[in-house]
Amino acid sequence: MAAIIEVEGLTKSYGGKRGIVDVSFAVEEGEVFGFLGPNGAGKTTTIRLLMALLHADSGTARIAGLDCWKQSLELKRLIGYVPGEPSVDPNLTGGQILEYFAHLRGGVDQSYLEQLIQRFELDTSRKFRQYSTGNKRKVVLIQAFMHRPRLLILDEPTSGLDPLNQQEFDRMVREARDEGRTVFLSSHVLSEVEQLCSQVGIIREGRLVRVGGIADVKDIKRYEMAITFADAIPSETFMKLDGVVNVETFDHGHAVRLTMQGPADAVIKAAARYPVVSLTSHEPSLEDMFLHYYEANGSGAKEVHHVA
Amino acid sequence: MWLRSVYLKTLRDYRVAILGWGIGMGLVVISPMASVGTLLTTPQARQQLVSLAASFAWNADVVAVDTIGGYATYKIGIFIFLIAVWPLLAGSRMLRGEEDRGSLDVLLSLPRRRVRVALEKVAAMWTALLSMGLLIGLLAFAGGQKFGGDFGLGGGLLFGVNLALLCAVVGGLALLISQFTSEGGPAAGWTAALLLPFIVLDMVHRVIPHTEWISRLSPVYYYNLSKPLVPSYGANVGAMIFLGALALVLSGAAVWLFSRRDVGDTVPLPRWLRLPEHRSSRALPVGDWSLRSVYTRSLGMTVRPAVWWTLGIAGFAAWMVVVVQQTEARLSTLFATSPTAASLIRNLGGGDANLNASFLSAIFVLLPLLLMAFAVTQVNHWAADEQDGRLDLVLTTPQSRLWVLLGRFAALGTATVAIGVVTLLASAVAAAATGLKLDLGNLAGATLGMIPLGLLVAAIGYLASGWLRTAADTGLLSFLLVIWFFISFIGPELKLPDATLRLSAFYYYGTPLVHGLELGPMLGVVAVSALALALGTLRFVRKDIAT
Repeated sequence: MAAIIEVEGLTKSYGGKRGIVDVSFAVEEGEVFGFLGPNGAGKTTTIRLLMALLHADSGTARIAGLDCWKQSLELKRLIGYVPGEPSVDPNLTGGQILEYFAHLRGGVDQSYLEQLIQRFELDTSRKFRQYSTGNKRKVVLIQAFMHRPRLLILDEPTSGLDPLNQQEFDRMVREARDEGRTVFLSSHVLSEVEQLCSQVGIIREGRLVRVGGIADVKDIKRYEMAITFADAIPSETFMKLDGVVNVETFDHGHAVRLTMQGPADAVIKAAARYPVVSLTSHEPSLEDMFLHYYEANGSGAKEVHHVA
Repeated sequence: MWLRSVYLKTLRDYRVAILGWGIGMGLVVISPMASVGTLLTTPQARQQLVSLAASFAWNADVVAVDTIGGYATYKIGIFIFLIAVWPLLAGSRMLRGEEDRGSLDVLLSLPRRRVRVALEKVAAMWTALLSMGLLIGLLAFAGGQKFGGDFGLGGGLLFGVNLALLCAVVGGLALLISQFTSEGGPAAGWTAALLLPFIVLDMVHRVIPHTEWISRLSPVYYYNLSKPLVPSYGANVGAMIFLGALALVLSGAAVWLFSRRDVGDTVPLPRWLRLPEHRSSRALPVGDWSLRSVYTRSLGMTVRPAVWWTLGIAGFAAWMVVVVQQTEARLSTLFATSPTAASLIRNLGGGDANLNASFLSAIFVLLPLLLMAFAVTQVNHWAADEQDGRLDLVLTTPQSRLWVLLGRFAALGTATVAIGVVTLLASAVAAAATGLKLDLGNLAGATLGMIPLGLLVAAIGYLASGWLRTAADTGLLSFLLVIWFFISFIGPELKLPDATLRLSAFYYYGTPLVHGLELGPMLGVVAVSALALALGTLRFVRKDIAT
């Protein structure tokens, strides 16, 4: 499938301050792409460059073959956008805002718009200034989806939504994907990305540090094992074993919590030498991967901390 | 240092206003001082000036108007509304503005009592007002020294303090009203709406004998009891203490209400004072005409303020027509006996070919100034919308930046034209009703001719907003207006060279009520406006939005 977003060597600075540096990636049409990074990493800058709100210092960004800056008008017809911080005229009601943006987009299917409003259970008669954070988010989400865009660019879209509405949002993203539309989603809610995205890009300090399929990214993750023993075991038992990154000992040597990376074979064999009461392992999550990437030294090198 | 307390931080936020407003208003006070010296060359001229001033006694007390300080005090009467604008805005936004932005939530999460936070903010506003008063007082003193005034530094400073006290009352009133409104804007609007009757109440006793008890209901009355620039009259300490106490009571009541209400909520009004609740329909489409395009939306946003400004500008023009008709006889005498007075009016009004038109022309120069002030407020909204991210979503729809900017400017242009046309109609009706003979063509030139000046200010503001943040953009435009005003109103008396006079936009407005609108200079203003707008557009379509 062809790439709908193509970013090549994109660089943006704000005076002397870093924005993003030499960012390159591509997003295939029809996929849900997760764009991960901590605050200030450059996610919003990248998105604002795609939306032609900022002008790149160098590099190119194209959407559906159109230059994001030079042909912004044409490409904005294809896009639904949710900004990181929703800001519209606070004196308009939710209904007025949706109607205004529907007009600016040349009209939308009213029945579909009503459907979206019902799905999010939005009271459109209240002024934007009177909405809670979650309801403000709903208004901008509905305006992004209401014209059934070919590409959705969503900057931390579920921030402030309650779990029920997050589930509704997840369903809407999946429906969009099933209809062959593309979703570019920035987030630091990693479980959301894990559930929704097929591809992930991780940005750190303005640079894209990794891009790949969700499965490819998972292989670098760490996970935790907690083992409880009937008797106290020597504290050095699990240190220096292959796959062990960190060891914490509790309950006077009766329990350990291991941070693992890679196969657990050596740990299982070492534990088997002692009477084991219980063994649990946390399913690897993107949170672990995320933390791993943003450790102070930024490397995935094996490091063992001993906490007794 | 400036971030060590709420008081210092608030004072830091006011620093540009202190300088800008203090110096700007100081220049406004100096303006009449510069002009009166040349008016008072003969005893007859003095007498005529006193006589003429008496005709306008509704405006201010006629006390020693044949002295520098007395004339300045008399002339400032009409500018009270202008001087009160800053405290009105500051008071209405002090707490409500922070609540709107959500920053008050963070501030009140600190281990600091709510009353203390509010009191520190009030104290900062009072400090700012006193600083402005100090600047105004120093400039008044400097003006007196330069133009031969007989008041000393103490008189100048007391004049500034008296102004600051009145402003503190207005600020306190706005702060109090803002406890009952959900936004700062309506609080400012209601305060302004109250200020107008206060000014009128103060006028009553000067127009109708034995009605001083009515005027005592207005704080403006107590401000006018002190005339520190007139040494023989001096300051009324009791009145000044009363103003200070009133400011204290209003601010105290506001802080008391603030400490007892929910943050983000309002103090409930008694049922009989509440407006009927307007509940919007949930059904879509809403069918609101203003939601159809960027232009109509911008027009919708401009309508309400434009109506108020139209009432103010057109009402002022019509009122002046009536006043001039009523003082026609005295003006004739003044023109005949005082060549210097005639000279002043000629400088401002542009010649004595038609007596009424000349005098009215001198007053009508204020109309473009007011329209330009309206343009400044609208430019402020444009810059704030970009800075606060309200343009982001609009610019991510298939609307080009060019059309977004032009749509907004066109709405402002429409409002400006409407204000000009209504002013023309109001003036024409007033002239017809009172029987004042005016050339209708020239009247049309005088009222419609202010439109290009309004658009010029707007275009310069749009251009500057390409680089400057909202406060700096508004500050620059306000400063420009004060400087232009100073050059055009004082420049001729100071014998400033023609090249300097040409720097002011008012120069190109000319004296249309007397000489008709000069097409060449007006086309020049239109051309400069178009150029500024073109450059502003060019900048806007290329710039990073809200960085």
